[in-house]
Amino acid sequence: MAGILGLYLFDSRWNAYNFGVFGLMALQHRGQETAGLELFGSNEGRKKITGKGLVEEVLKPSGGQGHICVGGVSPYPEENAEVLPIALSDKVSVAIDGKILAIDGYRWNRSLKYEDNLRNGFKVIAKGSCADMMKDFFSRCSGGFSYVSVNDRSEMIAGRGSLGVKPLVLGKMGFDGGIIASESCVMDIIGERVPISPAENIEPGEVRVFTPMSAHSERSSASKKRAYCSFEYVYLARPDSYINDVPVYRVRRSIGKKLAEEGPVDADVVIGVPETAIPFAMSYSNETGIPVEKGFELTGRRIRSAMKPNQMERLKGVQLKLNVISEAVKGKRVVLIDDSVVRGNTLANIVYLMKEKGAKEIHVRIGSPHIISHCPYGVEVPPEDELIGKHLSEAKIAEVVGADSFKYLSLDGFTEASGMNRGELCMGCFNCKYPEG
Amino acid sequence: MKILLIGGGGREHAVAQALCKSAKEPKLYCFSDLVNPGINALVKKTRGEYYRGNINDSAAVVKAAKKSGADFVFVGPEEPNFHGVPDRLEKNGIACIGARRNVAELEMSKASMRDLQWKYKVPGRLWYKKFKTFEEAAPYIEEFADSVALKPARQAGGKGVKVIEDFQVYLQDDKRKVKREHAESIINEYMKGYDDIDYKLLIEERVWGPEYTVHCFTDGRTVLPMPAVQDNKHAFDGDLGLETGGMGSISCGMNLRWGKDDERAILTDGEYRKSVDIVNMMIEAIQTETKEKYHGIVAGQMMLTSVWGPTVIEMYSRLGDPEAGNVLAVLKTDLVEICEAIIGERLNTIKAEIDDRAVVVKAVCPEGYPNHRDVASGHKVAIKGKDDGILWASVDYSDKGIISGGSRVVECLGMGDSMPDASLKAEHLTQKVSLVDGWKLFHRADIGSEKSMHRRIALGNMAREIYQYREGKGLLGKRMIWIPGKGLVEVG
Repeated sequence: MAGILGLYLFDSRWNAYNFGVFGLMALQHRGQETAGLELFGSNEGRKKITGKGLVEEVLKPSGGQGHICVGGVSPYPEENAEVLPIALSDKVSVAIDGKILAIDGYRWNRSLKYEDNLRNGFKVIAKGSCADMMKDFFSRCSGGFSYVSVNDRSEMIAGRGSLGVKPLVLGKMGFDGGIIASESCVMDIIGERVPISPAENIEPGEVRVFTPMSAHSERSSASKKRAYCSFEYVYLARPDSYINDVPVYRVRRSIGKKLAEEGPVDADVVIGVPETAIPFAMSYSNETGIPVEKGFELTGRRIRSAMKPNQMERLKGVQLKLNVISEAVKGKRVVLIDDSVVRGNTLANIVYLMKEKGAKEIHVRIGSPHIISHCPYGVEVPPEDELIGKHLSEAKIAEVVGADSFKYLSLDGFTEASGMNRGELCMGCFNCKYPEG
Repeated sequence: MKILLIGGGGREHAVAQALCKSAKEPKLYCFSDLVNPGINALVKKTRGEYYRGNINDSAAVVKAAKKSGADFVFVGPEEPNFHGVPDRLEKNGIACIGARRNVAELEMSKASMRDLQWKYKVPGRLWYKKFKTFEEAAPYIEEFADSVALKPARQAGGKGVKVIEDFQVYLQDDKRKVKREHAESIINEYMKGYDDIDYKLLIEERVWGPEYTVHCFTDGRTVLPMPAVQDNKHAFDGDLGLETGGMGSISCGMNLRWGKDDERAILTDGEYRKSVDIVNMMIEAIQTETKEKYHGIVAGQMMLTSVWGPTVIEMYSRLGDPEAGNVLAVLKTDLVEICEAIIGERLNTIKAEIDDRAVVVKAVCPEGYPNHRDVASGHKVAIKGKDDGILWASVDYSDKGIISGGSRVVECLGMGDSMPDASLKAEHLTQKVSLVDGWKLFHRADIGSEKSMHRRIALGNMAREIYQYREGKGLLGKRMIWIPGKGLVEVG
């Protein structure tokens, strides 16, 4: 996964740089390893700034000039993936969230790295760099992805693969421009503040085209098949975003309610693991009447520990992020709510820390079904032999992590909480069933 | 009966159609700089005449009026009003529907309009500041201007307005820079060539809410209000992109309803009536101020804001374009009779009959509009089949055919029982239009659509909730700012 952003400001007096920087900051939760931004449309030519680290570390103040830009943040370390935006040719750059798995008319070469396959495919298919050729190229790509691409003729195209696995929205800046981003929260931060639906959902298979003459929508696929990523609602997206026009916060509240229905416990206090599981816990508390408490205090910078590429980093993240407030748990029976469990080690660590601070009982409730399979669309899921949910029962996991009870949200419970039909969601990581690419 | 129409755009085509519908079967004459094929057909049909010339040259207009022997002249666009064409006609004993120079000040000078509105305490007045030079404005922009609309102080064909929301302090430097540069270009570029006004730049507070226009016929004593019409200013679908002269307009009933038998509406009846009252008060104010009668059309270009409810954005001294298409399509009363009543100052005897169906007008433009008009112009336009419901706009008709003029080539007008209905009808008409050389045309498919109506209604509800709350507290139109160290400042 990644967070992607494209800005098209019509009037060349605007400089998109700072808008790009703050827009990417609003997407920082989608990737904290690398960041990059490329500016177009200035007299001095294109400028690309990329690097390792958070947006504010990579993109310094007044770093460039241009009224069009494309950028991204990514959770992959530099050695595993090219930093966004990727040069598709010497004239075209692209930021992609998700994975393109095949290109119609191009034979994927498995001995080449992913980005080189994209470049070769682009060379074979597009044969040039104008907007029509870019459109043709992306319409031949299949997989689960969203993209924003800019060329050196001041043309920008953006769209979602026909399955709609990855999100993408369009926002506006008055009469001055259009904003494309992975999530709608970007519009609150850099867009216009007209207080109705800040962003428009880009439909699966839809392409948004911006040229010096036009800004319009086209359809590259008429397929009605949908496979919206479930994990956006569980963990990936910000709670102040709308994904596929559904408010993420609403889904997270519903998940908390479902957990209360499916896994009631006689307990004294509900505690959510920050930050994602807090709305689950609040809603669980509302539903059951068990008071919700702040259970943890953070040391250092707020980071998304689950997205760290290695175990040491993840544990370091958890231990720094989650110092247990003993007064909240001492002598109490705790319902501890987290969003998901992958390997179980960080959860075990949290349970251990909480018991150490005097919690009498700990009942773990997870706001998603068990993760048992990989994600072909770029959400980092470790090899299957590492997935605790694939190999152990709930009772066994409780014993392993040191909890008094342990329960996942059911698949049906999750679907109901999302408010969508099962047929619209991709739940491959929970049930091994993947939409046809 | 003979009528001379001044102007040759889409608005004037709509006026020509309405005039020719009259039971009085007038002969239609037209005076304009370009030949509008639609008006030309009506001129031919009624055995009138088409004159070409500069519509702002009052002597030339008088000459044409005399030559035609017109019983009265109908002025379409605003510029002839600003150039005193109605005054000159009346001095020559020729009756005229058109605002005289002094009362047209309401539209021509956006600065005078605000002065007047504040002087006469007309509700829906935005906070503003006017400037003669950039040097005067610069320190002000630096220090105080947050979210503002920057406007040329004179009506400049709707061009040059920029609304900048400057709320996010982390983006303030970028926004102030553009504000500064735009203010400078308003003074040096957009206002260049206009020497008929002292003030160059107007800075107003930025407001949000659904916009609408309320047109009124007036003889200076009575006001005959027309249905509220909503224009769509953004160039592209979904309210995206550049500001245009208007990409299409919608209306239904008096208050922008969803359908003729539908309760849902963008405005309430009360808000519509209040808007008419505001236009009425503005007419009275300008008449008191200038001691002149207003004969013609006044329109309040309004917005339903959270600060005031119905709020004046600008005033028009003529029908809006493309809004004229909506108004005249539903006006069942004979337009010639209305004109005669205005001239005779007996508009009080006329009862306006309005068809309550929905009208959706969609403008069709060559790619390049609005910012690259050079590439948008010079293309030959073709229409497949009959042109019923199509208003010709920025084109010129000659022996070379119908050639695009760089702006909206036609306006397609659909009528139906609901907005989405009318929108689809207009959409069908847009498909009939093409450019012979294959250059692309564009229009907005979303105007009047269900999605667009939902958004407009939601936006109206949001503004309403806030202004009504303020109204209940006696705070309507009042703004209070606590300046630390200085104290409480009240505006309003």
